[in-house]
Amino acid sequence: MIGFDAILNSFAAALHYESIAIILGGVLLGYIVGVIPGLNRAVAIAIAIPLTFYMSAYAAIAFLIGLSKGTAAGSAVSAILLNTPGEPSSAATCLDGYPMASSGKPRKALKVGLLASVIGDLLATLLLIAVAIPFASVALKFGPYELAAILIFALVFIAGMAGGSFLKGLAAGGMGVILGTVGLDPETGAMRLTFGFAELMEGVPILPLVIGTLALAEMFVQLDEYRRNKDASVIKLGKNADDDLSYQEFKGTLPTIFKSTGVGAFVGALPGLGPSVGAFMAYGLAKRSAKDPDSFGKGNPNGIAAAEASDNAVIPASYIPLFGLGIPGSVSAALLVGAFMIHGIQVGPLMLRDHPEMLFTLFSGMIVASLLMLAVGWYGLRIFARVTSVPPHIVISVVIFLCLAGIQVQGYGTFGLVTVFVFAIFGYFLKKFDYSFVTFLVAFIVTPMLEMNLRQSVILSGGEFSILLERPIALAFVVFTVLMVLHLGWTSYRRWMQARHKAKQV
Amino acid sequence: MKMKLLSTAVLSAAMAFGVAGQAQANDFPSKPLTLVVGFGAGGSTDIQARVLANVLEENLGQPVNVVNQPGAGGAVSLTRLMHNQDEGHTFVYAGTNGTLTFAPHAHDTEFSLDDFRYVASITTVQHALVTGENRPFGDSWEDLLDYARENPGTSYATQHALDRLVIEYIMEQEGLDLRIVPTSGGAGMAPLILSGDVDFAYSGGTHSGYADTGEMPVLLGMDGERLFAFPDAPTVMEAGYDLDTSDFRVVVVPKNTPDAHVERLAEALEAATQDERFIEITEERILMPVHFRGEEEATEMLHAQSENYRQLLENMGGVPEDD
Repeated sequence: MIGFDAILNSFAAALHYESIAIILGGVLLGYIVGVIPGLNRAVAIAIAIPLTFYMSAYAAIAFLIGLSKGTAAGSAVSAILLNTPGEPSSAATCLDGYPMASSGKPRKALKVGLLASVIGDLLATLLLIAVAIPFASVALKFGPYELAAILIFALVFIAGMAGGSFLKGLAAGGMGVILGTVGLDPETGAMRLTFGFAELMEGVPILPLVIGTLALAEMFVQLDEYRRNKDASVIKLGKNADDDLSYQEFKGTLPTIFKSTGVGAFVGALPGLGPSVGAFMAYGLAKRSAKDPDSFGKGNPNGIAAAEASDNAVIPASYIPLFGLGIPGSVSAALLVGAFMIHGIQVGPLMLRDHPEMLFTLFSGMIVASLLMLAVGWYGLRIFARVTSVPPHIVISVVIFLCLAGIQVQGYGTFGLVTVFVFAIFGYFLKKFDYSFVTFLVAFIVTPMLEMNLRQSVILSGGEFSILLERPIALAFVVFTVLMVLHLGWTSYRRWMQARHKAKQV
Repeated sequence: MKMKLLSTAVLSAAMAFGVAGQAQANDFPSKPLTLVVGFGAGGSTDIQARVLANVLEENLGQPVNVVNQPGAGGAVSLTRLMHNQDEGHTFVYAGTNGTLTFAPHAHDTEFSLDDFRYVASITTVQHALVTGENRPFGDSWEDLLDYARENPGTSYATQHALDRLVIEYIMEQEGLDLRIVPTSGGAGMAPLILSGDVDFAYSGGTHSGYADTGEMPVLLGMDGERLFAFPDAPTVMEAGYDLDTSDFRVVVVPKNTPDAHVERLAEALEAATQDERFIEITEERILMPVHFRGEEEATEMLHAQSENYRQLLENMGGVPEDD
């Protein structure tokens, strides 16, 4: 077992100026990739892996971890300033970030986002260090039954949070579910809704879909607004006294940040759910437990804090099953396994036995990366906030170019470009007619996971509902879901009654 | 006189260019090469390909760019390669099993085995049927069969149409009644096995990472030879099933690639399979044996396997139709 001295030594190694420089390089590169809507974390890591061939194992991994963390912080910037998430998982950040920025407080929005990111990331990293090895096996208690129950709960919870017209929400969710079922049937291998395109066999590729519906469509909407009104869509970065984050305001978001970090860490520790689910769940929780839920979506700092804290907490937490059990909990975790492999380290429970110094150096590197993220983000936001003073016709065309280039870089080819445009048009109308893209996106992301886990549960149990009695965690989530549905039904009934009452009085 | 000199000059220039032109044909590669991986970045194929690209670059004297073209288990990259006119400057590093020898029979792929040339096969996939620790049947295939006969509803996790077909064939041969659960990739399979939710499963290579801990013992190796990291587990053939489930990684070029180019690539690949870096990453990290087989041998193996799958599919009544 590793001694205290060794742990201290590993921290000293992480604080060496060379390591700091390497991590800083990773964070900076990641931050830039994160800001650019078309490029995402997985691509950044994949492209950086060959760069790390010539580094030492520690430097390579530290670089990649810095990169991975940097993207998460950077993606909030474009979500807030341009309403185009740099990463799919920052979609939730747009909800309050962009309204706040467009109401003349871009700096404040960026700062809330950054602080929430760093705190969420740091706390989840500490959690990882504390529980990775001893408690990783708890994740195994979450089998197909539990995951299916949690996913159904998440779907209902997030759909309930989106608000707006119930029927429009249902329609948007339905579209997401239908698109989520495209591809090979997981059980029979039959093709579903592929219309003969081999490219669709593994489902509608998520990146072109997200870039199309969120980023490109948003650019179309802004272009539309710009054409009508040359001044409206520009976020003014003036000397607005209100455009800074006071300590009081920051303190006000802390409870949300802590709660959301908890949600993110929980979602991250379970293999396969991913940061998008985490961010939206945290956002939903924050909105639901807030005293003023109606202010969400209109620039509430708690909305930004919830989405960002959870999004960033998912990443370190997804390394819990990775280091504890050897199961990558997210795409970026899977890529890191590859990078470790290249440098001769088998990721998994044996790491503590075979490379304990590596593991602890890594942990300390992660903490250093969190702090550097704060520094890079703090200075970065000053620079990036200036994007708002660039004329929109330049910003819009650059973003469109980057979106399309990103798709091309990732090897989707012509098919990817067509997909992006189809979804851009689709997303444009979603936005124009006020359909909830949150419900659509979450339904799309959750459907394949839910289908897989539900089918596994049904087959494994032989179709017996009584299996739930043997799986208390799954049962608990089923009960939560039922309560949630009842609650949603009751509140909308009451609202409807109130509206009718008012109408009568008038 | 001047005229004559000029014409001589022109002639000699033409000759020089003619020679140069000829030399160019032998001077393959004359521009940067593209190594296409039919999967997303970060998987074992991708990692191998990136190291391979580094090694090939030195041998071929041209940059080798790795490009990921994910989709349909590698079929998308091959469909695109089919129409490629790059004369060997673009090649796919592909898995054979499933994509090349099985998919054309099972699914409606645009390509068939005859649409490509197979420059060489360089590594062998170590896939297997695996189980977890402390199972009532231990880690022996025979005991699993006994256990599954006594306990209908023993569960198996499948990842592809191919391994499902294999397990259905085994069910029929052994008279078993299994619950077949779908899952995707090693990351989906590992939690099911480690938690004990599923009794045994197909694994494309994830088990190699657990070779030292013994958390994922191998019941049956699915390569033609016994697995590298699990020499005690019998192979599918040794267990008495007449199935060629071996899986190689081959370098594929379009049918119309000139012989000289294929030969030059094969030469570079053979050198790569002797390169320390490639051997280290493949054998010691990914735990796949490096084994060079030239075009003739590789093509022969692929055709034999393709025929084997065709017959199996015929016997089993094919894969489910889409309707």
